[in-house]
Amino acid sequence: MSVTTNETVNRSEKSGPAPAGKPQRRGFFAAGQYIPYALLLPAIVVLVGVLAYPLFRLFDLAFQNVNRYAYLVNPSLSKYIGFEGFSKILGDHQFWEVVLRSIYFTAELVILSMVLSMLIALLLNRVSNWARVTVITVMMFVWAIPALVNGQVFRWLFSPNGGVVDYLAFLVTGDESWKHYDWFADPNVGLYVVGASVIIWGALPFLVLGLYAALTQVPAELTEAARLDGANAFQVFRHVTIPVIRPFLMISAALSFIWDFQVFAQIFSLRNTSPEPGYWTIGTYLYMNGIVRSRYSESSVISIVMILMMLAVLVFYIRQMLKIGANER
Amino acid sequence: MTATTTHPSGPPVAPEAPKPKKKKVKVRTTGQKPVVTGIWNTLAIGVALVMAFPIYWMILTTFKTNKDLIAQDPTFWPSSFSFDSYKTIFDDADFLPSLQNTLILTLGAVVLGLVVGFLAAVAVARFNFRGRSFFIVTMLVVQMVPLLAIIIPLFVVMNKAGLTGSLLGVILAYLVFTVPYVVWTLRSFIVNIPAELDEAAMVDGCTQWGAFFRVILPLTLPGLITTGVYSWIQAWNEFIVANTLISSGGDGSKTSMIWLTFYSTTPTRGADYGSQMAGGLLVSLPVIILFVFFQKKVSAGLTAGAVKG
Repeated sequence: MSVTTNETVNRSEKSGPAPAGKPQRRGFFAAGQYIPYALLLPAIVVLVGVLAYPLFRLFDLAFQNVNRYAYLVNPSLSKYIGFEGFSKILGDHQFWEVVLRSIYFTAELVILSMVLSMLIALLLNRVSNWARVTVITVMMFVWAIPALVNGQVFRWLFSPNGGVVDYLAFLVTGDESWKHYDWFADPNVGLYVVGASVIIWGALPFLVLGLYAALTQVPAELTEAARLDGANAFQVFRHVTIPVIRPFLMISAALSFIWDFQVFAQIFSLRNTSPEPGYWTIGTYLYMNGIVRSRYSESSVISIVMILMMLAVLVFYIRQMLKIGANER
Repeated sequence: MTATTTHPSGPPVAPEAPKPKKKKVKVRTTGQKPVVTGIWNTLAIGVALVMAFPIYWMILTTFKTNKDLIAQDPTFWPSSFSFDSYKTIFDDADFLPSLQNTLILTLGAVVLGLVVGFLAAVAVARFNFRGRSFFIVTMLVVQMVPLLAIIIPLFVVMNKAGLTGSLLGVILAYLVFTVPYVVWTLRSFIVNIPAELDEAAMVDGCTQWGAFFRVILPLTLPGLITTGVYSWIQAWNEFIVANTLISSGGDGSKTSMIWLTFYSTTPTRGADYGSQMAGGLLVSLPVIILFVFFQKKVSAGLTAGAVKG
């Protein structure tokens, strides 16, 4: 009986000229061959218009000499220069300095934030309930603060005049010279200490809460069994915990790399909208060159190099995500 | 332990207050001594204090008087509370207009993103069509394109289309990160609604649209809220695209983030950290409220799909 009911429903819906659908197409969307494409159309239009065409223009620009606003407004002034733009950027020692700095900085950020968040997540797994709730609540608030505001707050914390970190350092060490210590005078200190602390502070909530959620998935029977078999805490962590949380660990490490490599907002606001060259990582460099100095073609080249450098990690990440997505279905 | 189980009404409040020995009703796992737990708890509170300190300092700064702010040694509690910093912010002619711009932008990006993304998610989840897996993979890849890397050509294209300096251009640009995320996340929600459900509704006399509004939409609602909240936060906090596309237009309109970023660039305001912090707090408040309110949904949203932050 149910078969006949289904058929009548199908027939009554078939108002258009659409032929009988495949068996998979059932329920509300039983009719119409072109429906999926019609549904996809707005998304495709938006993505092609705002993403695909600009991506094409990115490569187009990279082979031109549009390095002034006037050239952009009046395209007849610009011309194709082949790989000249590439050789100019790749031959520029400041570019390589920036790339190297980005790599160091990203490595520092990813390693520190992953290790710290792993430690805090393990700690959360061990503490009493009230302590855990306190930490998680604080983390939620930190998470909610926009990246730009993070940079602004840390500029104030580390300010040489009235900054609290200077004062705390003085209180702890008792050394008067810590007062009015200028954290930003040496870009290396400013970037690798202050910049890193802003970004890690902002990144910890996502990582800690995610890792903690992953840790709660580790079956207690497994760890206890390992314990009974004589494994010490580290061995349990290494051979039981890590394999279980591995998928999230991989994804969060890849995401951290992706975010940290292109970091911009925090540094930009930390240096009050004009980061000195010593603070330039690839994101900042791109912005300073492209938007501030209107060197559109040169920064297109930088963008392409940046995308290429991220590609390996991106491919890895996408493969992981697809695996997870495949399990879902 | 037996003593605690005989008093299920909870711990007494007053008498045991001074030095409470840890009396846990909770069953402890093997090898977790109370003293050790105490040490870990202290460590955890230390972590919480360090994490919370910048926020505390930000809020504290907004209430400090000028005298406190320019004092040689910062104080950890204001000598008197002052709301001058907030007054300075609300007196700023650009603050409210920029907030309004941000609101329009965010609403536009979220609503458009949800509509466009939901349609595509339905297509991907409920239909088998040629190019389906290609589309899904594309959604994933698109999320990973660094927006910063296409900012230059995006500006060039929008400039040509006459959309620089307008909010519409920015909304369109934001769709690049909202739509793929919405599609990817809602897809798994819709996949989990069995087709038998809307079939049953239609057998029982619902029209197609009836089945859609009474079955599919309510069941997707949690997903819509998750993705909506997440897109809201992303759009609200976005700076670089808005700055590039709007400010370069030249008519002086700003979003809150742009306003905040450039607020401190004049020397007088640059030194006035009280109002800077007040501005930062006010601008982040909508996001903070949303975050606290939809806490679970936000974390679910982050893990449900690939997201960039």
